Amino acid sequence: MQAEPTGAPQAVIATKGLTKHYDTVKALLDLTLDVRSGEIFGFLGPNGAGKSTLIRTLLGFLHATEGSARVLGLDIEADSVEIRRRTGYLPGGIALYDSLSGADALDYLADLQDRGAAMREELCERLQMPPSVLRRKVRDYSRGMRQKIGVIQAFQHDPELAILDEPTEGLDPLMQHAFYALMDDQRKKGRTIFFSSHVLSEVERVCDRVAIIRSGQLMALQNVDDLLARRKRKVELRWRGAAPELAGIPGLADVRVDGNKMSATLLGDVSEFVRAIASPSLEDLTIEPARLEEAFLEYYAGDDASEEVRG
Amino acid sequence: MNLRLYLQTLRWNRVRLLAVVLASIGWGILIPVIYVAFADAFKNLANSGAIPKELLNFGSGSLFTLPGALTLGLQHPLAIAFVGIFAVGSTVSSIAGEREAGTLEVLLARPISRRTLYLTLAAASASLIAIVMAALLGGQLIGVAIQGVGDELDLAQMPLVFLNGLMLWSAFAAFGLAASVSFDRHAPAIGLTLAYLLINYFLEILGSLWRDAAWTQQYSLFHHFNPGKILTGKTDPLDFLILAVAIVIPVAYALVVFPRRDLAAPS
Repeated sequence: MQAEPTGAPQAVIATKGLTKHYDTVKALLDLTLDVRSGEIFGFLGPNGAGKSTLIRTLLGFLHATEGSARVLGLDIEADSVEIRRRTGYLPGGIALYDSLSGADALDYLADLQDRGAAMREELCERLQMPPSVLRRKVRDYSRGMRQKIGVIQAFQHDPELAILDEPTEGLDPLMQHAFYALMDDQRKKGRTIFFSSHVLSEVERVCDRVAIIRSGQLMALQNVDDLLARRKRKVELRWRGAAPELAGIPGLADVRVDGNKMSATLLGDVSEFVRAIASPSLEDLTIEPARLEEAFLEYYAGDDASEEVRG
Repeated sequence: MNLRLYLQTLRWNRVRLLAVVLASIGWGILIPVIYVAFADAFKNLANSGAIPKELLNFGSGSLFTLPGALTLGLQHPLAIAFVGIFAVGSTVSSIAGEREAGTLEVLLARPISRRTLYLTLAAASASLIAIVMAALLGGQLIGVAIQGVGDELDLAQMPLVFLNGLMLWSAFAAFGLAASVSFDRHAPAIGLTLAYLLINYFLEILGSLWRDAAWTQQYSLFHHFNPGKILTGKTDPLDFLILAVAIVIPVAYALVVFPRRDLAAPS
């Protein structure tokens, strides 16, 4: 599937036919997508699907075999330095300078960024990295603390665009929520976030749009809400007395009746379904929310890689 | 060049640098002491024919004259180790080491071009080499002053000796940096650079100890670092030219190759 870039002038990231081969391995294939200004864009796929390859190509670590891409309106080959000046980047499994303290590492990276560190204090507070912790050497940090330093260094200069590779890896649930709150605030400020993940629940929680990639190819590029609206939901009903005949309700399928209980799957408009089943004999109704996981698994049906993705 | 990166690179090396500088000064002081104590004995030994005169040479140096002794001190394996720590160890680690550790990705996420990164690290390496060379030569001058044999040297030539040494070791550092940008892992880069250094050293020492193999010396970069010749007023501009070429080729290679390389995710 190919999604044509829409509104190119507003696209913070726009790729066109981007292809990357490593010898005989095709890591990215003819990838065309756009990330709009002010949105949080999720890039989904299991390990090895090509997520990090795209990120590394956008930031100039890799050179595209074919195609082109622009970030913040700048060409990724010719203007890579300027792109990196205006971007924050969190690499997957970030490595830091072990001999430096957390504070010194952040100072060093901020100095090299050459844009100050206006957001550091706020970020340290949100991610619970007090000065006493920042004074310790990075080598003494747990994985979660390193990841927090990674998040802080990516955002401390208040970048226009943040590119995050598996940002919540290693964060405890409390810090994951702090991170999600940070994402929400960034959205309110009009900042653009591009992040790759294989944690579907966080993409669903945070992102406006998602792209699903498989073996280097774009499989889907949609609003999260649209993607979910097209998913089947599981519904369960309990009646006072025998379950009535519900055949013919649009979108209802896989109906199973067990005495006064009934389960089915529902595709489409919920309100129409609720109107159709409205009855004084209806005792209980459960409609499970649609999950991104199902959409994802649909694209990866029969692929072992789907097992690497968490819901 | 990026000043912050340059200063941080020097800072990361400061403890090691201090230790090497102190050791270099100590070694430098020792050479004139050895010369004064043993030069006559070695001359007599050589003149007696008890051992071949070649065996009292080492590289381009010897113990028969003060300039020869200073050359020997600068080409001795100890001096090679002192300068090599920075000319080989630090340069190879600078990019391949950061790449292997994963920190290169964090570094290059900043607005620094790969050419700027390379040139900054090259400048830092040259600075570290210059400091160690200055320590070695400074130690030798202190030793010369202590022994009171300064009249055997043309001290005005010392800056040229310094430049000659800086160029020799910068050539090895340039090779090390070129290897560092060419590999994703530290081990092959350091292996290749050490092999380059050892082959050069072997050719020089072999030619100096075995007359039939004297022709091998001209293929060694060490042969073009000859303080003895400079201090006796026989400076050969060709030595400087050859060392300059040995610097320029790997620098040009690295400046072309490094920006074009794919830096895949660290494993």
